[in-house]
Amino acid sequence: MLEQLISNIRKKLPIQNPLHSFVHNNILLMFEHMDFHEAVSEAGKLYKARPYLEIYKYLEKFDENKITQTDIRRSIGHYLGKYKAIESLSLLGLTPEDYFYRLMFSKLSFNDDEIQPVLSNSILWENCLKKMENQSLNLGRSVRYWRGKEYWEKYHNESYVLSFHPFMIRLISSFLDQGQSYWPNPFLDKSFWDFFLFDVLSLKGVSEGWIEKLVEKTEASKNLGPSEVIIKELNLKNIPEDVWESYLLEILFDLKGWAGMVNKLETEPEQATVKAPNIKLLDFMAAFLLMESSIDTYHSESASIDLQMIHGRVEKIELRSFQLALALYQITESFCLHEEWMMNVETQKLLNMIDEIDQSELRDRVRLWHEAYEHHFHREALEAVSGHVFKIKNDDIKTYAQILFCIDDREESMRRYVEETDPGIETFGVVGFFGIDMKFSGLGHSRSIPQCPPVVVPSRSIKEVPLSDSTTFKKWNTYQGLLDLILYYQSRTLIRGFLSTLILGLLSFIPMSIQVFFPRKSRFFGKKILNLLSQGPKTEIHLERGEGDYGYTKKEMASMVEAILRMIGIPKLAPLVLVMGHGSSSNNNPFKQAYGCGACGGNAGMPNTRAFVKMANDKLVRSELRKIGIEIPDETWFVGALHDTCTDEVQFLDEGQIPESHYSSLDKLKQSLIRASKLNALERCQRFDTFIKHSPDEALGHVKERANDLAQPRPEYGHSSNALAVVGNREMTKGLFMNRRSFLLSYDWKSDPDGSILKNVVLGGIPVAVNINMDYYFSSVDNDHFGCGSKLPLNMTSLLGVMTGSMSDLRIGLARQMVEIHEPIRNMTIIEAPLPRVRDLFNSHSRLRNILYNHWMRLAVFDPIDQKWWVFGHENYEELHVEHLPLSVFKSSHSYVSFQREDNFVEIHK
Amino acid sequence: MIEKLFEIILVSPFIWMSLLAMIFFLRIKINERLLSESVRLFCLYMFFTTLMLFVTTLIHSPSFLLLDLEDWIHVGDYHFKIRFIVDLLGATYAVLTTSLIGIIIKFSRNYLHKEEGYFRFIFLLSTLMFGLLIVSFARSLDLLFVGWELVGTASVLLISYFHDKPRPVSHAIKAMVTYRICDMGILAAAAWSHLQFHSTDFVIFPKMLHADPHSFGPVVVGFFVLWASLGKAGQLPMSSWLPAAMEGPTPSSAIFYGALSVHLGPFLLLRFYDYFSHFPSLLVVVGMIGAASAFYATLVGRTRSDAKTMLAYATISQVGIIYVEIALGFQNLALFHMVTHASLRTYQFLRSSSLIQDFVENPMVEHHKFIRRGFFFEKFISQSLREKLFVHALHGFHLDFFTKKIIEAFLFPMKCLINIEDKLMIFDTYLLKLILRKTK
Repeated sequence: MLEQLISNIRKKLPIQNPLHSFVHNNILLMFEHMDFHEAVSEAGKLYKARPYLEIYKYLEKFDENKITQTDIRRSIGHYLGKYKAIESLSLLGLTPEDYFYRLMFSKLSFNDDEIQPVLSNSILWENCLKKMENQSLNLGRSVRYWRGKEYWEKYHNESYVLSFHPFMIRLISSFLDQGQSYWPNPFLDKSFWDFFLFDVLSLKGVSEGWIEKLVEKTEASKNLGPSEVIIKELNLKNIPEDVWESYLLEILFDLKGWAGMVNKLETEPEQATVKAPNIKLLDFMAAFLLMESSIDTYHSESASIDLQMIHGRVEKIELRSFQLALALYQITESFCLHEEWMMNVETQKLLNMIDEIDQSELRDRVRLWHEAYEHHFHREALEAVSGHVFKIKNDDIKTYAQILFCIDDREESMRRYVEETDPGIETFGVVGFFGIDMKFSGLGHSRSIPQCPPVVVPSRSIKEVPLSDSTTFKKWNTYQGLLDLILYYQSRTLIRGFLSTLILGLLSFIPMSIQVFFPRKSRFFGKKILNLLSQGPKTEIHLERGEGDYGYTKKEMASMVEAILRMIGIPKLAPLVLVMGHGSSSNNNPFKQAYGCGACGGNAGMPNTRAFVKMANDKLVRSELRKIGIEIPDETWFVGALHDTCTDEVQFLDEGQIPESHYSSLDKLKQSLIRASKLNALERCQRFDTFIKHSPDEALGHVKERANDLAQPRPEYGHSSNALAVVGNREMTKGLFMNRRSFLLSYDWKSDPDGSILKNVVLGGIPVAVNINMDYYFSSVDNDHFGCGSKLPLNMTSLLGVMTGSMSDLRIGLARQMVEIHEPIRNMTIIEAPLPRVRDLFNSHSRLRNILYNHWMRLAVFDPIDQKWWVFGHENYEELHVEHLPLSVFKSSHSYVSFQREDNFVEIHK
Repeated sequence: MIEKLFEIILVSPFIWMSLLAMIFFLRIKINERLLSESVRLFCLYMFFTTLMLFVTTLIHSPSFLLLDLEDWIHVGDYHFKIRFIVDLLGATYAVLTTSLIGIIIKFSRNYLHKEEGYFRFIFLLSTLMFGLLIVSFARSLDLLFVGWELVGTASVLLISYFHDKPRPVSHAIKAMVTYRICDMGILAAAAWSHLQFHSTDFVIFPKMLHADPHSFGPVVVGFFVLWASLGKAGQLPMSSWLPAAMEGPTPSSAIFYGALSVHLGPFLLLRFYDYFSHFPSLLVVVGMIGAASAFYATLVGRTRSDAKTMLAYATISQVGIIYVEIALGFQNLALFHMVTHASLRTYQFLRSSSLIQDFVENPMVEHHKFIRRGFFFEKFISQSLREKLFVHALHGFHLDFFTKKIIEAFLFPMKCLINIEDKLMIFDTYLLKLILRKTK
């Protein structure tokens, strides 16, 4: 019984990892089996959050022509495919389309205020008053409350944020602490419940108010186990069993971040930053419930209120005749009805209708606006991709290099610039972990990190090994680590703190001033000093199969290389193939992990790149590949590189192993990449307000400064504004400026007769894209409740996450500064492949099916066989006839960017 | 020349503040870049002028300069003179102020970019600077009080920087109440010394003492000054507001509670050191409070697992040590300790967001630190005692509970008086009614 209850509760708690292993996730992952709108409404109630933007923002967009009449009409049509208008529509004499259309622009607000607004139409007002004389109505949106919280806060001057939460936060943050405090919690080898009991009982005699009650209650139930306490308390409150789940959830969601973390560390202890404590959601819940009861008891006793009146009370919103008349008046005006329409209608029907319209207004209006808003962008995108005519073909230019980029939306612009600056380079987009599902431990790091998407469980472990003597490096690395820890702990104690303060205090002026005043130089200085102490040895990735789960066999390597080559359609390989991973450097940034490569679990893609290159250059692997019919020419050489999406630098990896014969083309490639990265930096800089200079060189300097700045809350804008994913040949999008809004996945439908490659491509990329998209969506629609709030007062806690200010819930989601320019639009995936293949794929995989059929994403398919466009509606694919205006044409992305227009899509054509 | 320099140092922040206030009241929209650029220049300028003053004082040390400006108020015989003292203590604090505020201003330029409250933030930091400069150089309690209040106000308003949230506001009120209670100490000391010495000038005080060494008054003045210093320094029993004050943006927490505002307590004691040194009993009290606070804060701080609260307790404990140093007579050590401590804490606050990254990248974390941290002296304590100590430290040794009880005890007679008054009122109205009836 209780187990079932708890496992249900687990499913609804926030799923965020500790920040050190942050990965983008659809924060409502567990709601994906429900329709998007239904799910966000339900989750919105739990999170106390608003799941769409505020209505006025949509209205502003309408005024700015970012939502047009066409969008509105179409999205109403789409919405009607799934949802009905109100039952008593016939009374109004409107079609469902008209009803929704007028509802969107209506100004309805039904409430029990007594204020009379200025009414222009007095005849109508008289009619309404007459009709509603001596009537009253309880609106259906009245709420039943099981908790005392709202009541105490409203009438008894109680504030849970100030009394209830601090108590719990102090206990739980201390128990979950991973090593931030100097004293480890002495109860770590017992359980949280023991800790809670001991702690509360120690408060005897030094407590008052509700805590005194808590001590009494705890004393009474100290011999019971946590589950007995839960059942006892719930029964005491007379809460019916069918609302237990929602009641407990509501309590837990008071501190949703902590509750989620408790759940995370219990179910996935390997996610802990250092070591997961013996924490159970059950213990946490029992403690929470006991505290809730004590507050209830305290208030009910001090104000002599019967608790039975509190639990399960219904707070009604009652409209009396005056307010009803007002509602009727508003309806008549908003829906443009005749002023006497209501005279012949039965009053009871009118009352029902008012209630229905009230609910429909709260539910449908914002959904419709949101649909229209998304529709606008999706239409634009489809028109751009389908109507994009100037497809760059450079058959006459010999391709001397190919680059495999990550599918990341941030690489869209980089690819564009690379292709523009050097037509001899061809680019592809593949998932940035290159199919290598490993746990990686780097030299000088103690932990091994999964370098693959969070949905994949790493099958092998791989190590970085030094090629030369690394003892001094290791020694210095150890010293540095020890020194850091000693400084951290000891500078905060008493006597040792005194000594370290006297010795280090004035010295700290030096690094502080350098880092604050010369951010760009600071990293340079730091590196210089480190290099002076010890030069890191040259290393390589050791891939050979070893004991246990170590390493890959040649055959496995060959099949991994094969998978990637098949994804890009096994093109004719150029002499140089650059495998480009990406990462992001930033300073003093708790969310560093959110900027990394999503396909590598938020880490930099460097190890995967190096491993892949090593595999693909291996003679034995190549001969294995030859056996299965894939020929890699001998002159082809794979080279690894890392693109830093924050500083826009490209770093070449393991350069020493490149044969001399490739040097000249490598130099050419490097020059092109440097040029492209400068232009890319410039495009990114347009989004930052602080940047005023206009040359590409200065732009590169500026982004480097951002990455090293101690004070920079926005080192980069990450995936902000992502909204698309295009799966197909690069020809579809080459030469199309997409404003860094699209994931780009390479897929060649011609070389994939059975659809198995499509499956790999889509499964590897689209769930990641949707996760990122939804994470940004929720954090930007309601940053305070779905997101993390402002970055400015954040406070690192327990090495697990951040709190706001001195004490708060553990925050989830992304910070305001990270999503402030994001437009919350669901992802639209455009696939170039025969329709049956796509349909089968989405029907066969459970998560894909869920997110598609429940509208967590949109899907458009371009069937290259009959050259038709299809869009997924509600249950099936509808043919799409795109009518498009030609896009503006610019000579280069750079010229467009310096032009500073707001179009998302333009053609680039010389 | 030094007089001129000094006037510049004091007058320019005043002009700057008035300028900002004017911009605010006239509701002129000011460009963020222009504001940040000009405040940066202003800080640079202030830093160099105070540095010059510091160097000059260092050369002339130990003699110091007394400045009398015009009378501010004079009523009958009484002259309220605006008087300053320029000595090493003041100059050091001034240079610390301008350099740290300079760093914070530069830091906030990116940190608070696009922030609605940026102007407010800059204005409050300017207020802080002006307030601190007055405190640094004031020669009388009355004048010092002006600066003291400016610092307090800026501090409270920055705690409630996010004033749309309940917690920052309530914690700001907590800080404000503590400040108010302790600021009464300065007022009381000023009033008493006006009575006793007919002046509040620090330089004159010790001389006055020789005239009348056995009276009770001077000890009381000393006690009030000590009381006043406890609030800002977060020493016992006024410690619980400081950890709760970490609600504003990180740079404001750094500058106020890691560095400048929190060291005003020991600064005040140093200012009065010549006076205090006549009363060994007072110094003993200073030392005891310092030692108790240091011990208390270090115990509580050890159980804290969030970056900022932990730093707050670490700060209280170091300031406690500074109190002890002052009590033992190590004036220069105390001053040096203040400066080094302020800069170290500022740096630690500013870097506090790097913690997770630092730990994850540190190769030594998993090896032995997690097990061995926190067992230095502690291994001599038995497990059960350690558990008890831990939970009590976790609750801050119930400081809030006890202070509340003490306040309630103080309020008890008041409450009785209120009760009596209420009853009298009822009696009064009854009488009034009777009278009214009769007159009818």
